[in-house]
Amino acid sequence: MTAIGETGWIGRSLERREDARLLTGRGEYLADVRVPDCLHLCFVRSDHAHAKIGEIRLAAALEMPGVVGAITGAELSTEMQGQKIPVLIPAFAANYRQYWPLAVDEVYWHGEPLAAIVADDKYAAEDAAAAAEVDYEPLPVVTDPEAALRDGAPRVYDDWDNNEIFATSYTGGFDPDQIAKNDAEVEALFAKADVVLKQRFHTQRCGVCPIETRGALAIWSEADGLTVHLTTQRPHIERLALADLLELSTAEVRVIAPRDQGGGFGVKAPFYREHVVVCHLARKLGRPVRWVETREEHLMTVSQERDQIHDLEIAANKEGRILALRNRGIGDVGDGRQGVYWGFVMPSLGSVMLPNAYDIGHADIKLRCAVTNKTCLSPSRSFGALPTRFALERGLDMLARRLGMETAALKRKNLVTEFPFTSVTGVHHDSGDYVRAWDALLERFDFAGFRAWQNEARTSGRYIGIGFACGAEFSGIPSDVLVPLENQPGYGVVTMRIDPRGKVAIFEGDAPQGQSHETTMAQVAADAFGIHPDDVSVRHGDTGTTPLSSGTIGARGASYTVAAIAEAASALKAKMARYMIHDHGLEGASADDFSFRDGAIIYEKDDNVRRDFAALADRIVMGSINVPPGEDPGLEHTAYFEAPKPMICFTAQAAKVEVDIETGQFTILDYATCEDVGTVINPIVVEGQVQGGVVQGMSNAMFEEFLYDEYGQQLTADFENYRLASAADVPTVTVGHSPTPCPDHPMGVRAVGEGRPGPVPGALANAICDALAPFGVEITTLPLKPEMILALIEAGRAGNGG
Amino acid sequence: MEKTITVTVNGTAYTRTVPLRLLLVDFIRDDCGLTGTHIGCTYEGRCGACTVQIGGRAHKSCMKLAVQADGKEVTTIEGLGSRDNLNRLQQAFSRYHALQCGFCTSGILMNAAEFLKENINPSEAEVRRALVGNLCRCTGYSHIVEAILAASAVRHGVKPVPPPAGTEPDR
Repeated sequence: MTAIGETGWIGRSLERREDARLLTGRGEYLADVRVPDCLHLCFVRSDHAHAKIGEIRLAAALEMPGVVGAITGAELSTEMQGQKIPVLIPAFAANYRQYWPLAVDEVYWHGEPLAAIVADDKYAAEDAAAAAEVDYEPLPVVTDPEAALRDGAPRVYDDWDNNEIFATSYTGGFDPDQIAKNDAEVEALFAKADVVLKQRFHTQRCGVCPIETRGALAIWSEADGLTVHLTTQRPHIERLALADLLELSTAEVRVIAPRDQGGGFGVKAPFYREHVVVCHLARKLGRPVRWVETREEHLMTVSQERDQIHDLEIAANKEGRILALRNRGIGDVGDGRQGVYWGFVMPSLGSVMLPNAYDIGHADIKLRCAVTNKTCLSPSRSFGALPTRFALERGLDMLARRLGMETAALKRKNLVTEFPFTSVTGVHHDSGDYVRAWDALLERFDFAGFRAWQNEARTSGRYIGIGFACGAEFSGIPSDVLVPLENQPGYGVVTMRIDPRGKVAIFEGDAPQGQSHETTMAQVAADAFGIHPDDVSVRHGDTGTTPLSSGTIGARGASYTVAAIAEAASALKAKMARYMIHDHGLEGASADDFSFRDGAIIYEKDDNVRRDFAALADRIVMGSINVPPGEDPGLEHTAYFEAPKPMICFTAQAAKVEVDIETGQFTILDYATCEDVGTVINPIVVEGQVQGGVVQGMSNAMFEEFLYDEYGQQLTADFENYRLASAADVPTVTVGHSPTPCPDHPMGVRAVGEGRPGPVPGALANAICDALAPFGVEITTLPLKPEMILALIEAGRAGNGG
Repeated sequence: MEKTITVTVNGTAYTRTVPLRLLLVDFIRDDCGLTGTHIGCTYEGRCGACTVQIGGRAHKSCMKLAVQADGKEVTTIEGLGSRDNLNRLQQAFSRYHALQCGFCTSGILMNAAEFLKENINPSEAEVRRALVGNLCRCTGYSHIVEAILAASAVRHGVKPVPPPAGTEPDR
């Protein structure tokens, strides 16, 4: 591990650099970018979930005041190539279907864009889009993924043999004979198990819906080509895809993710079809074109994830040790036409993550993904893994009840204890002390005394329960995983530059959306150089100035990007030390003999030998004479960080709830987590990440549900019908810590951005079932609606003889 | 249909001829160029990112037409404090890390500033109830609630005034 804490900026809850502008209304979000002569684009979207497109009549729209132009899918498909291009296709065998950004001939989901209209202002563009007339010839609609996978089911794509876009086994290897052998071994373990739990679990379609919607502003210049401001988590990947799709040289495409983005959580990671339409029209019309998504469009087209069915089986011995796991998953991926995930990468990773955190030696895990007439899944924080986590955490509770064991004890008994550990699906768990974190959480809830108290409460008619869940979540994703998964590099990279006044600039190719990079990354660099964080600036998201990076995804910031900052700082410190050795004639000294603190570089063997940090930077950058032999002038370094295997961040979570057995309503009395985030850079930022992730999980578990009727009409396209948790719906989330440094990260950091929502539905449902144990309530579906809970209570009463 | 209106925003009078259907939020963002007021829902008043104060009362500016603000005093986030001199609430938001992406923050501040004028010593439950019209997707609300409580007048040394005689709540 690099010694890096010389001035102590690590581990401090510094107020954020971002806040001054954001608290005064001076943020720089996409919709705030203004350019002269800009046109506004509005999409005409399909009223039908599945239909042949007849005539599209735009003449009336084009005659409306302020309208400048329009384009249909049929026209667009003659002007650019389809979206099935290598940069947007993962390395899995799957049915990747060609598509254009505007529907051609046929629409496959309610809300699919089929034409675009541009006008002088957004009111005029919206009026014109409303005046567009489209003839449809409705076709059979597929909305149930399980039915869609049956032989002879109506097909979404009539030139496919069936509706299966992707199917695979995650256990037993890649050879069919090996898989069959593994399946037989698992079956043998089930046959001799003391107890087998078999249960279906369903997680509804829901997502994360950042408060800022998507948008794009494209500017075309004959001299420079395309400059496009985009809401995106991965500007460099957008740039490659846009260049390929528009058949431009990459030298002609610059993508700028705005300095401020109003949340992303995965939703702004895919390559969206709308972006390329905006860019194409800007080039075609020679005027800037801007599209700012409405909330209705957003809820109809993106932020839809989860939506998985799992038939889970757990075999265990009577002591509660898991012997084997079997799971058959079904993912409803919608139309499955959206790079770079094509809808199925999320449920696929969910199946990979299913056994995480627990020491499960044998498993048979398979997944089938169906296309349906719904919008394509787009990622949401806890990428694909929330449904599998719900299934496993709920299933283990049901298993414990069957064995007459405490669920907390059963789970503790099965946690991974020896590291490094590779799960049965191949997920590397680097290190940690999961049992210690688990025990800390139990202590936080005073669980030892809970049962007696719970029983007493029941005698007075109060139904209170505690539920537990955990997760071993990705702390960044290495190339080893990301290259096959998404055809993109996993390394972290920054360019670091020190100017002659001793100010450090960090250039990051990722694009944060609220993760506090400007603050935490400045803390890391300031700590390394012994200077103040105010003397460090962080610039991100502009492909014109930053190194190529795969984006702000999978908790890569504090893991990979911060590691690259640490390594860039080490390289520059070593160079500065070599100049000191040269200038002061310190024969035999090495870089390790210097410390960087209090704005100075100090020779530890003689602290009279010291230079002001800025003075040394000025000497190296500006005073480029008497350069040490073999050295370059200047202080700039680009560092790449790669971890050989995934790094993991453990979270244990517990909920205490009270259920009203007359209404099925429940109140969360307490919610706490115990985290192993390794070295903490900024405690209050980490706490905020965890609290926000947990409340997203609560909101998913309790309220959110995208509903489609039997015609595939989407019924939940506003925040009245698609309900997010408000402050009054949730409690304060308490965040505890049980850290172990990550051995694969130069500072021991584990990153927390991705996986926090995943365990929440399990913890909440387990708490409700614990409270309602006298009624034998076992929840297997989400969301946790009072009417569903009440029905289970009533079924339990009937089963108990009233 | 257009009308010439004068709206005073953060002390500056803006006289513009606007379509009757122009939403106040678009007037603020596009005509006044004050982009700190945000749009996060389908003009249904649900997300609260567009909250401003009209005559000192919090209003969702996506639910109002610009012509309805004719002759009125509007305060937006840009008028709440200044970059050099944040008010107590803004300072508390930074200290308690009550914002991440910042997109909902303007609306929450404009709502909470009004709330704290009338609630000098609120409980956590009162603060949470006061926030139901503002959605935040990043923070999970915990830090927001802490910041608003910390910014309340009583936490800053103002003594609560006892209720007038005869108005005690029933027990």
